[in-house]
Amino acid sequence: MILRYLIILLILLPIKAFALIEVDITRGNLNPLPVAVSPLSIDEKSKNSFNKILKKKNIGVEIAVIVENNLKQSGLFNPLNKDAFLQKPDIANLKPRFEDWNLIKAQALITGKVTFVDEKLRVEFRLWDVLAGKEMMALAFTTVPSNWRRVGHIITDKVYERLTGENGYFDTRIIYVSEKGPKTNRIKKLAIMDQDGFNNKYLTLGNELVLTPRFSPTNQMVTYLSYFKNLPRVYLLDIETGLQEVVGDFPGMTFAPRFSPDGKKIIMSFAQDGNSDIYTMDLENRIVERITNHPSIDTSPSFSPDGKYITFNSDRSGYQQIYVMNNNGKNVKRISFGNGLYGTPVWSPRGDLIAFTKLHKGKFYIGVMRTDGTGERLLTENFYQEAPSWSPNGRVLIFYRETKTNAKGEGFSAKLWSIDLTGYNEKMVETENDASDPSWSSLLSN
Amino acid sequence: MNRNILISFGFHIFLVIITAMSLPFLAQKTINLPPIVSVELIQITDKTNIPFAPKAKKIIEKVKEKEKKLVSEQAPPKKIKKQKPDAIPLPDEKIEKIKKIKDEKQNPEKLETEVKQISEFEKKELFDTNNIAALIDKSKVENAKTNKKLDKVTQNQDKEMNFGRLTLSEEDALKAQIFGCWSIPLGLPYNENLLVRIKLQLKPDGSIIRTEILDHARMNKPGQGFYKVLAESALRAIKLCQPLRVPSKGYERWKELQLNFDAREMLEG
Amino acid sequence: MNLSKILKNGFIILVASLVLTACATQKKTTGQLQGDVYTGSDSVEYLASGVPDRVFFATNEIVLTTASRETLRKQAAWLRKNSDINIVLEGHADERGTREYNLALGERRANSAKDYLMTYGISSNRISVLSYGKERPVDSGSNPLAWSKNRRSVSVKAN
Repeated sequence: MILRYLIILLILLPIKAFALIEVDITRGNLNPLPVAVSPLSIDEKSKNSFNKILKKKNIGVEIAVIVENNLKQSGLFNPLNKDAFLQKPDIANLKPRFEDWNLIKAQALITGKVTFVDEKLRVEFRLWDVLAGKEMMALAFTTVPSNWRRVGHIITDKVYERLTGENGYFDTRIIYVSEKGPKTNRIKKLAIMDQDGFNNKYLTLGNELVLTPRFSPTNQMVTYLSYFKNLPRVYLLDIETGLQEVVGDFPGMTFAPRFSPDGKKIIMSFAQDGNSDIYTMDLENRIVERITNHPSIDTSPSFSPDGKYITFNSDRSGYQQIYVMNNNGKNVKRISFGNGLYGTPVWSPRGDLIAFTKLHKGKFYIGVMRTDGTGERLLTENFYQEAPSWSPNGRVLIFYRETKTNAKGEGFSAKLWSIDLTGYNEKMVETENDASDPSWSSLLSN
Repeated sequence: MNRNILISFGFHIFLVIITAMSLPFLAQKTINLPPIVSVELIQITDKTNIPFAPKAKKIIEKVKEKEKKLVSEQAPPKKIKKQKPDAIPLPDEKIEKIKKIKDEKQNPEKLETEVKQISEFEKKELFDTNNIAALIDKSKVENAKTNKKLDKVTQNQDKEMNFGRLTLSEEDALKAQIFGCWSIPLGLPYNENLLVRIKLQLKPDGSIIRTEILDHARMNKPGQGFYKVLAESALRAIKLCQPLRVPSKGYERWKELQLNFDAREMLEG
Repeated sequence: MNLSKILKNGFIILVASLVLTACATQKKTTGQLQGDVYTGSDSVEYLASGVPDRVFFATNEIVLTTASRETLRKQAAWLRKNSDINIVLEGHADERGTREYNLALGERRANSAKDYLMTYGISSNRISVLSYGKERPVDSGSNPLAWSKNRRSVSVKAN
């Protein structure tokens, strides 16, 4: 035995006389990357123009703050305190003195310039590798001044992509149900806001119960359930025009609506005589197609991003479980097999995972599993939470939680929460009032 | 109603009596003291003196590792995409998964479709394990010869040892330093090959003259965008950690160093 | 075997089993719950004297209990007497479930009651069904009793 190795050594020796020493680095830290976001430089004339139009004293600072907050909220970056910055924005943008930024321990630096040109807002920004002392990325774009918040989000998306290798998710919106009032009689309105909580707008008045709104992939349209005239039906709402219309002409309750990935169809449940099945309706030719035909409750359908499969919730086994089938309803396969009840399956935009809600021994869980049902992973546990929705890069889940009430029935609240796919960075999403049923849009800039 | 209660009561008492009769006594059990194992504390010295066999084994394993890595890096991107991305596995599954992934990567369907930029230096280190296998078979025949060479080799081996490695304490010191500097981008896909090998040329004080990313071509391959991100994070770690914690003596042996950054352990959790 | 030892063990076991029986899950028939189904009168309204307007269900169930069937028979009788009245059956679920599934469950419960009324001669075009899922609880508490009151199908006069 030893002899064999000796012979090998003999052969190795002449070749490896000055062997290259290798050291394996298998650990590092998972600390957020320290970045410095310098306020965008802006000339006096532009500053005044923007102040007049947007009522913001320094739009260069405002945009940088958006980038800073976005990066911080992602949990992956640590934006450094501006007070420590040594270089002024206008100089930093041209050729930063890397030693200055190195001093405050920044590893990446974002600088830029914003100008008012031809009634438009023009932004150019650069991403610098402070340690390597070189530019990583430089981009410029122009838009209408009122889009100034989106500018901050788009810059964040580009920087995020460059530093993590993943698509961003900051230039997006969230639609949800804003709720108020006693638990026994909640007033609910459809609301839409930027992913960072700004620009909140109400889309309905609260006169009728509204539930489960979902974005179209084109982001123009929203589908949701409304109890208008006490008839629960699926509706379409155009965000720009405000026009609403009923989807189809069903003789009974339709609910749990979603769009197909190409935005051309609505998939939903239709309940009649105690049975709920899944149907689709083509938005152009209005043709209705029945997808499931089973005496059990079939609901919460969600398309795979390539449109070939549908995951849904059914109690055909006796209890709520998750199933996957072809988009024509054939080949139904159960994929959830753990202990407990499973619901609200939703397919990741990356196609690799299905997120779900699980109820087991009185506790609610948000989890993910692979599309064949393996690799089930529970991310968070709570007294009550459900209905996860994916960010467009398939990395973050937004869902909602409700609190327990006390013995007098008081203390009820519902709030939106989000969590990263790794289970980190669980946090509440601030909304003006209580909120539920969130749905994440795709990237607006696509 | 009363009769039922009486019957139930009777049965219960009966059960109690039976159990009482057959309940094992909670006698005092004698405590068995395990025999005392004597442990010898070994001092870690500046010069490591490791005997032959495990050392040679390590070199062979390292060579095999290199073969594996080269093979996997040559696999075309299509192959990697087809693998269903695995979710972060539950702790029990972890070990099985790692084995499974290693197995898969050893059997790519196509090799050498991509031209890999290998540095000249590295080429010298490549040698065919098949040749060694052939030699091993011959070893039995050449027993007598090698026996004589044993003593000579021992002496040489001792010298060569220090050229081939850092001592345990030197390596740990360097590793610990770099662990602190390397911010692993959390956004990396945890189911991909996350190994970046960087060759360094160092000055005697531990500052860096030159860095070179091996597998440079992978930086710009489509679908491997995360590799660029990973490589950049490794470079940042090295730059941040200057001057590196290098041994105080023997500049000749560590003036060129290769750091193998592997993020997989951290990301697989 | 030592007699004192037997007695000592017997005593220990007796005490242990008494303790255990005391800790056993509460026998389901309290004043208000039988099994999982609400049997009380709190929150119950009346369509007419002696005709309760609602029936209750167990968790995740649509099965009608004996008490429920009795209530529905009374409703059927009353509807036969007042043949010009139409009703809406409103189905509800408790909050311990996902929203969309609860909408379907409420609809099923209401239909369960409707089917029973129909077997007692009430024509289906006098009965319409409406599900509120978990949206309109009658008791805002977060405890099993409150939840049991919310799992219901309520008959509401439509005209």
